Amino acid sequence: MSAVLIRYVLCAAIRDRILIALVTAMLVGVSFAIFMGSSAVVEKGQFAGVFAAGGLRIAGVAGLVLFVVFYVRRSFESKDVEFLLSRPITRTQFLLSYAAAFSLLALITTAVQAACLAMIAPDIFSPGTLLWGASIAVENIIMVNIALFFALMVSSAAPCAMACFGFYILARMMGQILGIVDMGTDAPGAWYLIKIMEVISAVTPRLDLMGQTTWLIYGPDSSATYGFLFSQAAIFSGLVLAAARIDLSRRKF
Amino acid sequence: MQAATRSFAVSWLWLVFFLVLHVALWSSVRDIKGRWQNVPPVPSANGAAAIALGDKQFGYRVAGISLQNLGNIGGQVQKFEAYDYGHLKDWFFMANGLDERSNFVPYLASYYFSAVKDPKKTRELIEYLRIAGANPEPGAKKWRWLAQAVYLARFEIKDLDLAYKLSLELAASKDPTLPAWAQQMPAFVLTAKGDKQAAYDLLVEMLRSSADKLPQNEVNAMRSYICTRVLEAEAAKTDPLCEGVKW
Repeated sequence: MSAVLIRYVLCAAIRDRILIALVTAMLVGVSFAIFMGSSAVVEKGQFAGVFAAGGLRIAGVAGLVLFVVFYVRRSFESKDVEFLLSRPITRTQFLLSYAAAFSLLALITTAVQAACLAMIAPDIFSPGTLLWGASIAVENIIMVNIALFFALMVSSAAPCAMACFGFYILARMMGQILGIVDMGTDAPGAWYLIKIMEVISAVTPRLDLMGQTTWLIYGPDSSATYGFLFSQAAIFSGLVLAAARIDLSRRKF
Repeated sequence: MQAATRSFAVSWLWLVFFLVLHVALWSSVRDIKGRWQNVPPVPSANGAAAIALGDKQFGYRVAGISLQNLGNIGGQVQKFEAYDYGHLKDWFFMANGLDERSNFVPYLASYYFSAVKDPKKTRELIEYLRIAGANPEPGAKKWRWLAQAVYLARFEIKDLDLAYKLSLELAASKDPTLPAWAQQMPAFVLTAKGDKQAAYDLLVEMLRSSADKLPQNEVNAMRSYICTRVLEAEAAKTDPLCEGVKW
């Protein structure tokens, strides 16, 4: 990894005003959540907290994915990547430096999300809120690495962003999909579809087990533990970065 | 120069032409607006969670706020009599499947949708409240929703048999927070007093024993219910309980 390259990417994030944009979007989202929560006849706090947490989660992922995708594609188009790789830095160092910088940005974004939630959820250090924050950090890290992978693979920014969002929705729905798979169906060809879906689910992170807003109200349940969260972040990021490294070594500059 | 002026005039003509076309198109769809299509068919709990991208609690809250605002479409407010309470009950049970610990949907069923005057529709609410009130969640005082079901059966639809059956279920609850009046509910149901007086006594007792342990909004809703639904206007004016209640 190269500390200079990490700093270079983080400077680009500041220059692109991604953090200001994220903070602004999140503050607007939280304000809207407070408004929606206030309209409930009872349990106003719970409504506001759940709406804010759900909105912050999506806003964070959307902002990070768009930044990573457009930044990486722009780096290719402006020949930045070719210039960097002409320096004494290996492709692995280049990839890991980018992944580390984006992961750091994901952690900063999580801190902003937690700060926004703290404005309306006074008990920010409750076990449920801490687990929510940790799982959101993990989700953000996974998504920036996914975005980096797609941005290295796909040559246009818009399809790349769409692929990331599609993957995100698939990962968030995986629990529901597996429920349908386990229920079974008599539809023709269902056996093949079920097997295909199981294979897809085996290489998809279980984002449905992360960021559960129910933890904010009732505390953590048995669906996710810190061990699972950190293992998911480490193993899936490793998988996707390994795939990105293979693609990078086949690429000719 | 002349060509440029002519091109500019033609552009204006095109602009006016498309503006007129657009206004004509708009007028053809002017009367199509948001319409009340009654309570929509309920999705499954899994379907509702999928709409919220797998977050069940988020799905519960979205369903809850949607239920609260049902019938308020494009500035038109519908009477409860127009609602399909069968579908409404399905929504309640679906929400229960997403979060059975929250009191939001039981509250809506007890204090909001119960304003309907059709006994058939009230029975749908009772069916739901019976299940919501049987939840043994420790410390959650879910029995109060079963008590509401008893109240609705006894005083709103005046089905003594049903009310008595529900009151026995309530009295048999093992919840340690069950107050004495709830244990004596079968006797309340069979009371020989007039309906209004008995209903008043029951609700005031519920309020007295729980007011300090319930959210203020719920206490306000109970007071409002007593003062606007149970008491006659004259009696409410002189009852100290109704001081400050908005009419």
